[in-house]
Parts: sequence; structure tokens; C-alpha cells
Amino acid sequence: MANFFQVLIDAVALGSLYALVALSIGLVFGVMRLINFAQADYVTIGAYSLVVPTASITPSLLFGALPTGLMIAAVVITVTLLALLTERIAFRPLRNSNPTTLLIASFAVSYFLQSLVMLLHGGRPKAVSIGGSLTRAVEFAGIRIPGVQLLTMGVAITLLLALVFFLKRTPIGIQLRAAAEDFQMARLLGVPANRVIAIAFSISGLLGGAISLLYVIQTGTLDIRMGMMPVVYGFFATVIGGMGSLPGAVLGGFIVGIVSVLLQTYLPVDLRAFRDAGVFGLVILILLVRPQGLIVTSAAKERV
Amino acid sequence: MKGNLFRIGLAALTAALMSSSALADDAAPIKIGFAIAQSGWMANYDVGPFKAAVLKIEEINKAGGLLGRQIEYKVIDTKTDQTLAATAGNALVDWGADMMIVPTDYDYGSPAALAAQTAGTIAISPGAGDPKMGVQGVGPLVFTAHTSAQTQGIVMAEYGHRKMGLKSAYVLEDVSIEYSKSACAGFNAAWSAEGGTVAGTDSFKNDDPSIASQITRIKGLATPPDAIFLCTYTPGGGSAVRQIRAAGIDAPILSVTGMTDNYWLGAVPDLKDFYIPAIMSLYGDDPRPEINEFLKAYKARWNEDLTSSFAVLGYSSIEQWAHAVEEAKTTDSQAVVNVMNHYHDQPFTAGLTSYTDQLHIQVDRPQLMMKVENGSFHALEMFRNEFVPDMKLLFRVGQ
Repeated sequence: MANFFQVLIDAVALGSLYALVALSIGLVFGVMRLINFAQADYVTIGAYSLVVPTASITPSLLFGALPTGLMIAAVVITVTLLALLTERIAFRPLRNSNPTTLLIASFAVSYFLQSLVMLLHGGRPKAVSIGGSLTRAVEFAGIRIPGVQLLTMGVAITLLLALVFFLKRTPIGIQLRAAAEDFQMARLLGVPANRVIAIAFSISGLLGGAISLLYVIQTGTLDIRMGMMPVVYGFFATVIGGMGSLPGAVLGGFIVGIVSVLLQTYLPVDLRAFRDAGVFGLVILILLVRPQGLIVTSAAKERV
Repeated sequence: MKGNLFRIGLAALTAALMSSSALADDAAPIKIGFAIAQSGWMANYDVGPFKAAVLKIEEINKAGGLLGRQIEYKVIDTKTDQTLAATAGNALVDWGADMMIVPTDYDYGSPAALAAQTAGTIAISPGAGDPKMGVQGVGPLVFTAHTSAQTQGIVMAEYGHRKMGLKSAYVLEDVSIEYSKSACAGFNAAWSAEGGTVAGTDSFKNDDPSIASQITRIKGLATPPDAIFLCTYTPGGGSAVRQIRAAGIDAPILSVTGMTDNYWLGAVPDLKDFYIPAIMSLYGDDPRPEINEFLKAYKARWNEDLTSSFAVLGYSSIEQWAHAVEEAKTTDSQAVVNVMNHYHDQPFTAGLTSYTDQLHIQVDRPQLMMKVENGSFHALEMFRNEFVPDMKLLFRVGQ
């Protein structure tokens, strides 16, 4: 039984990470119908901002050398500014294009950012150890919880609560939700489009910064493709949860993370390599049963 | 009748051209083409071997050249792109390359190697660990100067059992690419031949953000294993080691050459008891004097410290080809390959080298065993595997 709880903790911790990623994708999709694959590179650049950009394979620390609080602030601000910058330069001019154009633009931005990182940092993976004490495990009642898992769950819950508060209780948050539900209608009612979209991007940047820090504490490695995996999973999560629905994105994130860990744990050894196929199979199944995802927004309904 | 005359004329012309080019051959330089990634993520794996190869070419030229002729070289960037690799290969064939160096990976290098093979030109990949970079996967003119991934696993199994006295191992397999799967296949075969027990097996993927559930499984074992065999590569390998050690699993970790060199050790400060079969040591403690001479020469030529131990394979690629050219007294690819196919424990800088007409990869080259301590890899000793992988294991058929 202890083992099952252990598995559950592993599952929820991974689910929390994916929920954060899914939320950052879902938020931008909600207001702009843009599936922003450059989110992967926000995460990557956030992680790389910890070290000085050189071609050296053992770089010295940049933001990673700052005291914890400043380091977190510096990384989060870097990623947020980057998200705003990509919005202003790449996505704003395309705002009235159809979603396909936006999607392709996001791939272009992603490719550009990846090449930029490679140019500045070289293509070889690098290592950076931050929050080493956090990786150690706390044990109680026979269950081992690595500090970083506790942290991921804590950060996820805190950010989710903060976001719920922001979206429900502040005027700009309400405008954001209105825009996510029906962008045209919200604009007609006086919601400033530029501001709302910029806010959505800054929140996705903030989440991106948090994700990169959690990710680096866990893995200790920097790689130009490091953001891709979580973002692809986060994208599946938003699809499962219902495109454009924020609670759906979070729910989807937890489902994807939990299913992935359960498959890894309970599949026979020869089938474990097909774990991802199982997760993708689940996506297909949910889409067959509920094509709009688990939680459907009114905007999504109308478009059918 | 007209056609016949034309044909005779053409034949005469061709003969004239050929004899004139044969005459020119004596003085003309020998051409080596490099179709390698100078940009993109593979550049970090291709540029080191390239610079080392240039060092060897310059050494040969300084010593009077090859067959009395100077060697010139040309590089075309494949930009870490499979299609461009083919284009680069073809362009170098057109340039008249006598020999071609192709990227250090089967997937990214084979298009260039195929271009060379099709044109009847010998191609060597300095660092591909897949036996398909050879007769069966591309053609009889294609070689890799590296050791097969299977052998790396076999070496760790024999070293772990015989030298470290390990009895049980937990096998954690990175299933994201063929290299790591082949290494685990080699380990499994040799470990059972050694009579070692397998405490359990599990898999992960290099880009998994977390291997928490794999760790939970190891922690759940009734008796902890003597060692963990981890077939993987960077960066995901570094992340896996960090998570394993953070979970308080202190058993020795046996890994493979994909984890070589110090650059990833920052991810796991205070790492201990981590073992790999290495190509060479970059840190001055290699027991082979020729390696340390190579390190010095590299630094003198490029004015920088060598950061990738794969580089020496580039040096040796030129070395082994040049040796065969000397012996064959021609650069004709088929003649050179015939000599190379008979190499048996031929001593080159990267180590003893053997080829046959069927096998163009190393299967039992002695490896430098290395161990991590105090933030760096340290050389232990040279070790040669006794268990030699057969064709079935090398190509992983029927497994």
C-alpha cells in the first residue's frame, strides 16, 4: 500500500508540472486561438538564463549565481519579457490571421529561438546544479517525497490558486476570462485587446519561468530541446481538457501526468517502452468520446 | 557507320584524357573531403574529430606527404541535416575526393556515406556506434572508427563482474535511440554469460522530465542491487543520474561511452562510483603515452584544450586510411579497403583496430575504464572484453 501511495505522489508531482505547462498554453490559446509551441523555448531560455552565454562547455553561472529570491525573479522576468517580445513582434501582426497561420508562426518563432540559444550557448548540453538540497527526499510513513516533487506540487497549487484569484476577482482577470470565452464579444464590450493578450502572454511567460526552474532543479541539465517534451505533453493536456478551457487545461495536465506514471509503473517491462503510445491512445480515445475535450467552453460550442 | 566513328573518337579521347590525368596524379595532391556538421547540434560531435583529423593531415604533409603527394582537404557543412548530408557527399564526390569523412552518427552520416559508396569512394565515420555504418547498412566501402555500442555494454558487464566483484545488476534502459538500446543488449548478453543476476529492468526516455516512478521501483526491491547499469547518453543521462543519487541510491552506476567527459558532471556535484568505458582521457591521466602526445599536439595546433574525447577517432580515421594507402601504394578506394579489411589488432592512436570484409566497426578494442570522483573522470586501467558480439547481437535481429 505504501508503494501505491508512493506511485501516486510520483504521478501527482509529474501531473502538477504538466498542469502548469498546459495552463500556459491554454491561456494564450483562449484569448488568441494560438497554439504557441514557442512556449517550449520560453522554458529553454529560462533555464539557459541561469548560465553565462558562452560556447564554453562548463559555463559559469549568470542568474544561477544570484541569491534564491533574486534568481527566481530574474529568470521569471527574463521569460516574461521574452514572451511579451514574441507577442509584440511575431504574433500581434498576425492577430487576425487564421489559427493555422498562427500555429506556423509559432513554429517559426520556436525555431528562431532555438537557433538563437544554439548561437549563444553552443549546441552541446550543459549542466547546472541549482537547488541541490531540494532534490533530497523527505521520508515519512515509508513514503519518499523528493523535495523537488513537494516544491513542484506546492508551486503548482500556489500558482493555480493565485491565478484563480486573479481571474475571478480582478477586473483585468475578468476581462481575460471574457476574452477567452468570446474574444469578439469582449472587444465589443470594451475589453482592450492588446492589454488582455499581453497579460495572457505575461502569465504564460511567468509560468514558463517557473517551469524552467522546477525542471532544472530536477534534471540539472540544459539542452536546446529540453522544453519540447513537456510542451508537447502540455499540448495534449489542453486538448484532453478542452481547448480554451483553463480548468480543462489543468485537469488535462494532471490526467496526462498521472496516466504516464501509472503506465510506466504497471505496464509489463516489455511494454513500458510504449508508455507514450498509451498516453497518446488516451488522447485519441477522449477525442472520440468527447471531441471538445472534457470541459467545454461556450465559445468552443458555438464554433461547431 | 557514323555512330561507330563517333564511338571510336570518343574512346580515343577518353583514353587520352585518362592517361593525362594518370600522369598528373603523381604530382596532384590527394583529396580528402569532409561532409560534416559544422553547425546545428551535431557540430559539437563532428567538429572535434574534424580538427583532430586536420592535425593528422598536417602531420602527414609535414613528413613529406602520402605516397610523396601532399594531402588537401575540403569541408562542406551538413548543418545537422540528413538531406544536406547527401548533398554535401555528392558535392565532395564531384570535387574529386579520394576519401571522405562523414558525420559521427548513422542517421545523420549515412546519406553522405551512401553518396561516397555510390561513387566508389571510401568513407569513414569517426564516431558512429552503430554497425550499420558499414557493409550491411551502407556498403563495403564504408567504415566507422568507433567501437560498437554493444561492446560498450559488454565491457561494463565483464569489468563489473570480474574486476568489481558485482553479482546483481539493475538494468535501466534508455529506449529513446538505438545506441542506448544496443548498449543494453550487449550488457544483458555478456552479464548472463558471466553468470550475473538481474535484479530488475526498467526503461525511460532521454527527455523524460522525471524518472520518479523508475526510482520508486528500484527503491521497492527487497534486496538492493550491487550496481545499476544505465545505458544512456547526455543530457538525459545526467538528469537520470542526478535523480538516482538524489533518491539516496548509492550503488555503483555502470554506464557507457555516451556519458563520457566532464561537461555534464555539474548536474551531479559530489558524484562517486560512476564507471564508463572511455575512448580516451582528456585529463592527462591516460595510461597510453600516444594519447597524451595527441593531446599536446592538439593543443599546440588549435590553441585550445580538447573538450571531446571523440576527437581522437577523427585523428585515427585519417591514420588508418593513410596506413592502408601506404601499403596499397595507391589511393584507389577498393585497393585501400582490401588492406583495411585485413587489419588485425593494428595499433593506431585510438587503440587496436581490426576489420574484416563483413565487419567495419570495432567489437573488442580495449577500452579505457574511467571512474568519476571529485568532480572529474579519472582513468583506471585498460580493459578488453572477451565476449565478442556476434552478427545477431550487433544487428539486434531475433532479440
